[in-house]
Amino acid sequence: MVSLSKKSPEERLNICRKYYRAGFAFLPLLWLINAIWFYKQAFKVEPYPQQAQIRTYVIRSAIGTLIWIIIIVAWNITFQLLRTKMGPLGDFLTFVYPRGYY
Amino acid sequence: MHRLIDDNQDSPDEMTELLKSQDNDTIIDGPERPNITNLPDVAIIQTSTDGENISSNAAATASSHSRVEAIDPQDHETTHRHRRNEQPDEQRPLNIEHEEIFKYGASHVVKLFVPVSLCMLIVIITIKTTSSYTPGGATWAYTPFTEDKSTNTQRILFSLANTFIFMGFVITATVILILLYKFKCYKIIHGWLILTTLMLLFFFLYSYFSSISASLNRPIDMITICFITWNIGAVGMFCIHWKGPLPVQQAYLIFMSALLALVFYKFLPDWTGWLILGVISIWDLIAVLCPKGPLRILVETAHERGEQIFPALIYSSTMVYMVTAVDPPPSEPQFAPDNINTNIAVNVDETLNEEQRNQRAAIRNNNARRQLIPRSDVPQTATRREPARYVVERSNSPVIDDDDDDESVKLGLGDFIFYSILLAKASALGDWNVTIACYVSLLIGLCLTLLLLAIIRKALPALPISITFGLVLYFSTVYIIGPFSAELNLGQVFI
Repeated sequence: MVSLSKKSPEERLNICRKYYRAGFAFLPLLWLINAIWFYKQAFKVEPYPQQAQIRTYVIRSAIGTLIWIIIIVAWNITFQLLRTKMGPLGDFLTFVYPRGYY
Repeated sequence: MHRLIDDNQDSPDEMTELLKSQDNDTIIDGPERPNITNLPDVAIIQTSTDGENISSNAAATASSHSRVEAIDPQDHETTHRHRRNEQPDEQRPLNIEHEEIFKYGASHVVKLFVPVSLCMLIVIITIKTTSSYTPGGATWAYTPFTEDKSTNTQRILFSLANTFIFMGFVITATVILILLYKFKCYKIIHGWLILTTLMLLFFFLYSYFSSISASLNRPIDMITICFITWNIGAVGMFCIHWKGPLPVQQAYLIFMSALLALVFYKFLPDWTGWLILGVISIWDLIAVLCPKGPLRILVETAHERGEQIFPALIYSSTMVYMVTAVDPPPSEPQFAPDNINTNIAVNVDETLNEEQRNQRAAIRNNNARRQLIPRSDVPQTATRREPARYVVERSNSPVIDDDDDDESVKLGLGDFIFYSILLAKASALGDWNVTIACYVSLLIGLCLTLLLLAIIRKALPALPISITFGLVLYFSTVYIIGPFSAELNLGQVFI
């Protein structure tokens, strides 16, 4: 329940920075939310001293999100294709075993 | 329309204007208009008029008020100026105010419909598509007696026993929470809430994904599931307990309520469920409205201290102006943390209820720093137990011209949960007539509650009216209307 426009610029920078830093803990979703939430602040609002910094964070968060999406998609494709051929490792990694039909 | 003003929440000059424009019996006669520079005085003025307030469940506490003022002076000033421009010293025409009241009412009701409907939708879709959320199966520590009894009488007796045990847990949790709140053990409450949300977000999410994956019948690997759970859980913790964008927070609260409702639905035996719904509505009524009711005590204590009730447990439909006031530890709302036990079912219920109650009370208290129309909604506290019945309305500074969402309606999360449980049980029969009838009745109950709220302007329990309607509709549809319309259909009689 926060309204960015009602916060001081320092606080906005603080929030953006915290989201950016926390996203390094394998949290691309946090980066995605950071990028979307602060997009307007970084690019659409008239400049204020902290805006440049927010802009870098937003851009880096967006790039980070893209990288993570590529990694996840690549891994899932690999897993779906090679699951049956990986032997015990494939079974170990599987979370749900599909049921057969009869 | 008789206007009860939650004076604590109005900024003094707004209050002045409202009072001047009202011909009704407002007790406070012409409070002075503080000038913009006297921002700290606003809080003082508000507290001094506490005793004279008609309806006292205003949320904005003086301390938080001054805190907010200190942090956002520029916003306050523009608000003041805007107000002054809009409304010079003469009174506004009464009909405009009336229009505003009603306008806020309708839009707020709709704002609450959407999240409640979304929550119900999630619950019903999950139940229909996965098979693992059907009732039966393991028994629960909260309702230890099973319902496989030979005679109906026995079944009712054991269901009643289950209900009373469950209510015992709820009441205990509520009382403990209120005691903690009264003795200012904020850290404990805080930690408790964090633990509860942690457990809720991670464990329940994990089991939810396993059910979904099993029903989808596609192989998903452990790494992806862990990654997704970790992401959604961590972001949830951020958004709920710290700062996050409002839509994301609302989405998380809705999703949490849906998860909890699913857990409840899965573990509650059939007749016990109905009895619990009924008894908890009555409990809600008692707890909120009776002078000695725990939730009322909570609200009043929070009101005295001028604190917010835990925002985390309450769903707010719009931006809350007192954002900064949320930051101080006492006012941080959280899900009631459940005691982390190995038995998840046990934990879930207890902790939530208390938290919910707190939140509910908190919500009411914390409502709008400035309320153009003081409405006490019953905040519904979150998570589990407490069927947060209170829908709290909070108006953010109404004078902000471009902000349409000045007033935010708050609904406790417990209300979400119990509405969803009712609807889930109604849909278990598979008959869409029943489901839709119950859905409509729940929404109508919510409307009525909000209407009452607008009139009475005090914290109200949101559960009783809706649940009563829902129960009546459910049983009448199943036993009377259903067969009736089936007969009509057979005989090709159209009415």
